Amino acid sequence: MSIDTPTRPGAVGATRPALDPVTFEVLKNAFATSVDLMSEQILRTCYSFVIYSRDFSSALCDAEGNTVMQGSQDIAVHVGTLHFQCKAVLELFKDDIHPGDVFAINDPYRGGTHFNDVSFIRPIFVGDEIIGFAQNKGHWADIGGRVPGSFDVTATEHFGEGLRIPAIKVFDRGVFRYDVGALLVENTRSPEVALGDLHAQAEATSMCEREVLRLVDRYGKDTVVDAMAQAQDYVETIVRHRVAALPDGTWSTTDYLDADPGKGEGLIPITVTMTIEGDQVTYNLDGSADAVASFLNSGYGTTYSAIYAGTKTFFPDIPLNSGFYRAVQADIGPEGTVVNAGWPHAVTGFCSGPYEKLMNAIFEIWSQLQPDRALACCFNLEYLLVGGRDARSDDRPYFMWYDWMAGGWGGRATKDGSGATAPVFGVGLAVQPLEGQERLSPVLTTHHALAVDSGGPGRYRGGVGVEKGGILTDATSTVMSYCCDRARSITWGIGGGLPSIPHGVWLNPGTDQARFLGSVFSSVPVQAGDSFSRPSAGGGGYGDPLEREIDAVLEDVIDGYVSVARAATDYGVVIEAVDPELDDYRVDTEATTTLRSRIRTQRRDWLAEPAAEVAARYRAGEVDVLDMIRKYGVIVDWGTGELLEETTRQFRETLHRRAAAHWS
Amino acid sequence: MTSLRVAVDVGGTFTDVCIFDEDTHQVRVTKVPSTPDDPMVAVMDGVRRGQVDLSSVALFSHGTTVATNALITRRFPAAAMVTTRGFRDVLEIRDGTKDDLWDAYRDVGQPYIRRRDRFEVAERIDYAGNIVEPLDETQAREVARLLRRRGARTVAVCFVNSHANPVHELRMRQILEEELPDATVSTSAEILPEIFEYERFNTTVANAVLAPLVTGYVDRLGAQLSEGGYAGDLLLLHSGGGSMTQKMVQKYPVRLAASGIAAGAIAARHVATQCGYPNAIGLDMGGTSTDICLVHRGELRVTKEWAVEYGYPIIFPSIEVLTIGAGGGSLAWLDEAGSLRNGPQSAGADPGPACYGTGGAEPTNSDANVVLGRLGTTLAGGAKRLFPDLAEAALTDKVAQPLGLGLAEAAGAVVKVANANMADAVRLVSIRRGLDPRDFALVAFGGAGALHGAEVAKELSIPTVIVPANPGVTSALGCLLVDIRHDLSQMYNHPVSTIDPDDLEAKFHAMEVSASERLRHEGVSPDHAVLQRLVSMRYLGQWRSLAVEIGTGPDALREAVQRFHEQHEREFAFRRDDSPVEVYQLALKAIGTTPKPAFERHTPTSGHTPEPTSVRPVWFETDGWVDTPVYDRTTLPAGTTLAGPAIIDQLDSTTVVPPDTRADIDEWLNIRIHLTEVSR
Repeated sequence: MSIDTPTRPGAVGATRPALDPVTFEVLKNAFATSVDLMSEQILRTCYSFVIYSRDFSSALCDAEGNTVMQGSQDIAVHVGTLHFQCKAVLELFKDDIHPGDVFAINDPYRGGTHFNDVSFIRPIFVGDEIIGFAQNKGHWADIGGRVPGSFDVTATEHFGEGLRIPAIKVFDRGVFRYDVGALLVENTRSPEVALGDLHAQAEATSMCEREVLRLVDRYGKDTVVDAMAQAQDYVETIVRHRVAALPDGTWSTTDYLDADPGKGEGLIPITVTMTIEGDQVTYNLDGSADAVASFLNSGYGTTYSAIYAGTKTFFPDIPLNSGFYRAVQADIGPEGTVVNAGWPHAVTGFCSGPYEKLMNAIFEIWSQLQPDRALACCFNLEYLLVGGRDARSDDRPYFMWYDWMAGGWGGRATKDGSGATAPVFGVGLAVQPLEGQERLSPVLTTHHALAVDSGGPGRYRGGVGVEKGGILTDATSTVMSYCCDRARSITWGIGGGLPSIPHGVWLNPGTDQARFLGSVFSSVPVQAGDSFSRPSAGGGGYGDPLEREIDAVLEDVIDGYVSVARAATDYGVVIEAVDPELDDYRVDTEATTTLRSRIRTQRRDWLAEPAAEVAARYRAGEVDVLDMIRKYGVIVDWGTGELLEETTRQFRETLHRRAAAHWS
Repeated sequence: MTSLRVAVDVGGTFTDVCIFDEDTHQVRVTKVPSTPDDPMVAVMDGVRRGQVDLSSVALFSHGTTVATNALITRRFPAAAMVTTRGFRDVLEIRDGTKDDLWDAYRDVGQPYIRRRDRFEVAERIDYAGNIVEPLDETQAREVARLLRRRGARTVAVCFVNSHANPVHELRMRQILEEELPDATVSTSAEILPEIFEYERFNTTVANAVLAPLVTGYVDRLGAQLSEGGYAGDLLLLHSGGGSMTQKMVQKYPVRLAASGIAAGAIAARHVATQCGYPNAIGLDMGGTSTDICLVHRGELRVTKEWAVEYGYPIIFPSIEVLTIGAGGGSLAWLDEAGSLRNGPQSAGADPGPACYGTGGAEPTNSDANVVLGRLGTTLAGGAKRLFPDLAEAALTDKVAQPLGLGLAEAAGAVVKVANANMADAVRLVSIRRGLDPRDFALVAFGGAGALHGAEVAKELSIPTVIVPANPGVTSALGCLLVDIRHDLSQMYNHPVSTIDPDDLEAKFHAMEVSASERLRHEGVSPDHAVLQRLVSMRYLGQWRSLAVEIGTGPDALREAVQRFHEQHEREFAFRRDDSPVEVYQLALKAIGTTPKPAFERHTPTSGHTPEPTSVRPVWFETDGWVDTPVYDRTTLPAGTTLAGPAIIDQLDSTTVVPPDTRADIDEWLNIRIHLTEVSR
């Protein structure tokens, strides 16, 4: 499908008289202030710890629902969905919208993200005319459904995932509708928290309304309405201006989900093709797979969001509104695919699934267009949920340890990737303090540390990932679920750079009972005394690792980002520890030259070694995980060592394309 | 004879020495160039040039950027961190977020202590303070010896959950002190006994890395001053808007991290209070940026969410100052879509605004003010010449021609956008607290504040602007006015319904004993000590809390809950009386009041008609070019009243009094501009 947004090349001033540039600049900045005030307020009054960790966004929309201004600190994943939700309210309620009304909506089949993200939308009236809408969207910690936290990995349809809100009126002409509010919050696991967020979000929208009405008082309604339209034209003009300066052409790449549980092993393609023609950017997702039999599908709203957010990464200074969406168009194809699943496919896990694949594919495409801003693949968003009964007190309340990690971003054209950074899904999404988690849940964190050797090797290394784990203390009736990906479609490098490490959770690591649970699983029973750990991947490397400065490798070894052993295997740099207590390490220059030249001559052959034999050597403990990935390009089940043949074939193909093809 | 009070404010460009003579009630100010390599050189230079006899100084106070600069440049002596096994990287993982959400090439800075200098020992305490794993003494001693071998001069000890039980940190401290007798040790539970490991660790690490440096600086300065004959305590202005003595600086150097920005805010409060305005907004506009602060009911807004640099929070109360990139040197530019922008880029000192004639070709706010006739052809009483033709050329090229505007309209547009940006920033700091800017007075100072103040006020419908007597050196004045102040806090996370009032009283009492001890240690006599109890509350289930005052006695908690509901409603426009409320933290503000200087009060002379020194055309948006009288501020006695438009010049600033406004000189020689066109 293709969302019909009018294309108006050179749209600025085409139909309406332009405001003078000063009034326009003043109003544009005032719109931004009105939206940021809304964000500021929600951050200070929210109840959901997910909103508190900055999983929320705010927007001012115009009378048609188009976004005029989005908050400057908003989470990326909501970008480009707020106008859909606003338009849905307009479509469903038409004339039945009145001053003092506040609507709630979370419907992913009407352009929303997932059920947890609940939007509150307040019309802004001048007299009896709507001039815009104030909207705040925040991630509720729970929205009902089968699984605490409403992340049901095994869901294939949305029924039972959580409460679907197609747009309802929670305040009617300023009066709170207790019946509607109760229906909403009493379908969640913590109605008090949900009710708190409902009020906090609804009140936040009034902050924006007040500011816009102040502007109307000062500048007049027509001027404010004109400025809302012109703010969109303004963004469109800048984007088109920059795009016009780029060469015309078509670029394409494919990234993969790990698997479709409804099918055999084999990576699931998401193909992105981008065309530039004059000042227009157009995306096409032909070649992307059918919807998968898990919740790692994307609805149209979030697919557009990924496209806008991925593209915006290369236009970081431009404000976000519907003008951007006009200059960047997309044909996401018919319903029924993994990138346009449609009702009633489960889409809650889109964030760990297609969303990040689309964004990273777009990074790869734009890295060719803007080589000085190149960015290799970044780690995958991951959520670990441990939920059950907390036996530390006699009433054994429900607890939910709902954890996400920072990880490594991809290597760049001029420097290493950023380590231990929030996901591309939302750079403002803050890691939770473990001291807070330990108060609330019977989980003792055993470590929260940078993962050595997790950065994908490259001339500029990927940023390092993080390892976090814990042990269950006084927990009963407890299960563990995980929402991630890229245990097989491993975070990749570009321009000769190598992949990082697989995502995935280990239960009781380092013991006889060690089990690899993979990167997506649901409701695995766990007992008090069980330990668990998982890494977040590092970023993929940029450029040939054999061309990395030797001193940079040495510094990495001193700080422990890279081990002495991997300095040799990944970078061909031979380092001897003289007195590690005083950071005294020495590079053996001669041995380094020899090793680098040996790797250079042999590395293509390693990638062609028979996969079955390599897998057997892995099972025998002769080859480790990092060599499997970086040296041989062989993907197995990391727990059993069983070879994944088709996956390996696809993975090796990407290694040839992104790495080997660029080696000297 | 000790009759002088001396305050020294070190800025990026100048070090201001403000001298108040208690006999004559006069203030005089000496400006000397700052010496970034060793700021003390400028301090002592200023003292000499100001002809201060140190033996006649009763009080010497000092605002310094030494700590701030060290944190920004990461120039620290050899420092190390010792932490719980498994958590060496808490400092580097932070909360993972970035300041710039969209620019993948802009990273957060590196931690204050590198990974190679962070060490782990086995120990673990749980959330409730129980020992899960005892401190491994052998390992602890090995780490201490290793640190000695590495030459560590300062060590941060940061253990998980130490806020609930500091026993392991304290034992680690002992071991370190035995093995490294010359090193400074900062433990996290002593520096900040609060939950949340990252914030506590980073605050402690900041304290540790600053300790040798700041203590060294303060000690050297203290020694120089006493050598010169100063017999009193050297008072250091801290981020929270109070001051602390040299002795306390040794323990809490991190409190000086924002010493530099606090002075201006304190001065703004003083000026407003003096004029009878309990609510005021301070607009301190300099060359590259503007600092905005807020005084509500006579108090400066204080925040605990603060950092010198994004990602590295320092959780000590700090005066809330919003800094935006709008100053006299901010560039006016057209973006790709033809919108007229202002800042945040600045022409800085080099090349400087076009009108300086030092090679700048880009138009700045100063250039616009020159073109509009608001600035004359000289600055600083003739010391600096301005070149209007260069300002005109820059504005014509970069703004007027591309936009098809006349030169004056273009310059007017530049000023208007700058003013609107400042007004937006003021809205952010006030409205987000549920405060209406129209209920405030605007205190405009800094080199450029008085040029823009009246128009910013008009934009915000603020009725009164106050321009202090010496706008360019107002910050230094702030240093003269501070009390000694300490802020103590502790965790106390309980629903209000379960709190035993006796337990609460005991907790506060213990904090008061500790605070009184600190004040006594600093030489504050009990009758000058003021202690104020605060309690942070939230609706059960909320994440952020609000601090409200709490009294003593059986109704104290109930009254505090009422105050919380009211404050929640004021700041966020709603309250939930039916919702349970919980306490999050207890805090104590301990103040040792210092006697304030009695500034000279001038008797208003009535019927004085001032003589302008000249008349020149000045452009105003409402009236276009108007022949406007220019006055020399030194000739305007208290009681003078001027009708706008007028320009008032003085050595360190220029004040614009727009048409349809009135300017009065009050008994403190402040200019008060009344905007008659105030609409509600």
